[in-house]
Amino acid sequence: MAALFRHVTSPLIDNNPVTLQILGICSALAVTTSLATAITMSIALTVVLCLSSGIISAIRHHIPPVIRLIVQITIISSLVIVIDEFLRAYAFEISRELSIFVGLIVTNCLVLGRAEAFAMRNPVVPSVLDGLGNGLGYSLILVVVGSIRELLGAGTLLGYVILPTVENGGWFEPLSLMQLAPSAFFIIGLLIWAIRTRWTKQIEAPKFALKQRQARS
Amino acid sequence: MTVWIERMARRGPGAVTALQALALALPLAAMFAERGTAMVPVLVTALATALLWEAAFAVVRKHPVTFHGLTTALIVAIMLPAETSLWQVSLAMTLGIVIGELIFGGRGFGFLSAAAVSLALLTISFPQAQLAVPGTSIAIATLPGAALLLAFGLVPWRVLVATPVAMVLMMLASGAVPAIVPVLASLVFGLIFLICDPVASASTGPGRWATGLLAGLLIFLFNAGETMTVLPGAIVSAAVLASVFAPLADHLAMLANTAIRRRRHG
Repeated sequence: MAALFRHVTSPLIDNNPVTLQILGICSALAVTTSLATAITMSIALTVVLCLSSGIISAIRHHIPPVIRLIVQITIISSLVIVIDEFLRAYAFEISRELSIFVGLIVTNCLVLGRAEAFAMRNPVVPSVLDGLGNGLGYSLILVVVGSIRELLGAGTLLGYVILPTVENGGWFEPLSLMQLAPSAFFIIGLLIWAIRTRWTKQIEAPKFALKQRQARS
Repeated sequence: MTVWIERMARRGPGAVTALQALALALPLAAMFAERGTAMVPVLVTALATALLWEAAFAVVRKHPVTFHGLTTALIVAIMLPAETSLWQVSLAMTLGIVIGELIFGGRGFGFLSAAAVSLALLTISFPQAQLAVPGTSIAIATLPGAALLLAFGLVPWRVLVATPVAMVLMMLASGAVPAIVPVLASLVFGLIFLICDPVASASTGPGRWATGLLAGLLIFLFNAGETMTVLPGAIVSAAVLASVFAPLADHLAMLANTAIRRRRHG
């Protein structure tokens, strides 16, 4: 049981898909301008990831290895279409804000990465839990980045005014940098820095190191 | 002279900063003459923020305390008008000096000019924030410092030549007749202290030509068709972008050099 639970907890920080494996960055940049879109995207991705991992794992022995990527993509894109239609039906405004990024979950390296690396080799239950864990790890980063960007970029959280802006007679001057994609890069970079300062095991060995000078005899 | 250069070179980045600070003394005086003592709060804020972060990083990383933030703060202060709100100055300095320099391990380990990053992030973050247009006296006051830095090899002369040439040629090619003297006067401070920054510019000869030309081209593009003066924002953006491309230019120059030497020597 504990071993199964590990599939869910380990991708949260120890093996986080965004900050350690650096996957799914492009959607993390695009949908984090506000918290509402970040949460919607997180839920959509987590659902797709769980279901696709489960389905792919269930039929993994029947997938011919040569066309496995095609089969995986077909399954993932069918699920994405369902999610996209669902959002259009029940959350039209948010689905308009997310525009093509829900559709682009198909190409999110995270989904295909887990399908290829985990679901193809593991039974259904661990695969679904692995999908859930990775989805939650991705969601955690998206929610943190989305909160920071919405709070500092517009002074609101989920649309509620937290820091009244100068325009509306308050004191807070929004940082328009936070509404631009580069700020998500900075924030994710700083997050990675913070995480690796606390969990030093994640630090990679430097590719290039200064040569130690030989001691003169 | 050469003995001096060798001595300075052996002293490392500290000596570079000292010389840059010396070169910045006259422009700083000219700035106070132009804009008055209203600049004191901006300068003090920039200096305090820069040195505080540098000291904090030195303590945490157990490095000896350095004072490279001094030149960053002086450059940023000279490029800002007195009306800039102080918390914006402080925030811009923090972002620029931490993300542009200290994250990489301090002066000389990164690939960006911390001052250019600070100013770029300030203008992107606060669209209403303006950069100061340096007046003629600042431009003239820059020249002795520029000569000093050039003599010690701390300003790459290829960039110094390529950037204004590319910019003026582009202006001419666009069909306008640029007002050469005001254009160069508004360019010279940013050219010396942002684009020709010894850390941020390329380190191979061809790479320096290439990034210098690129910076000139970018200044022309960012200048929005203006041919009577150079907007400070254009210089800052061009400096950041050119320095981002500098490692690539260096790499290509080295690849080309290896290929040429392999063909020559077998």
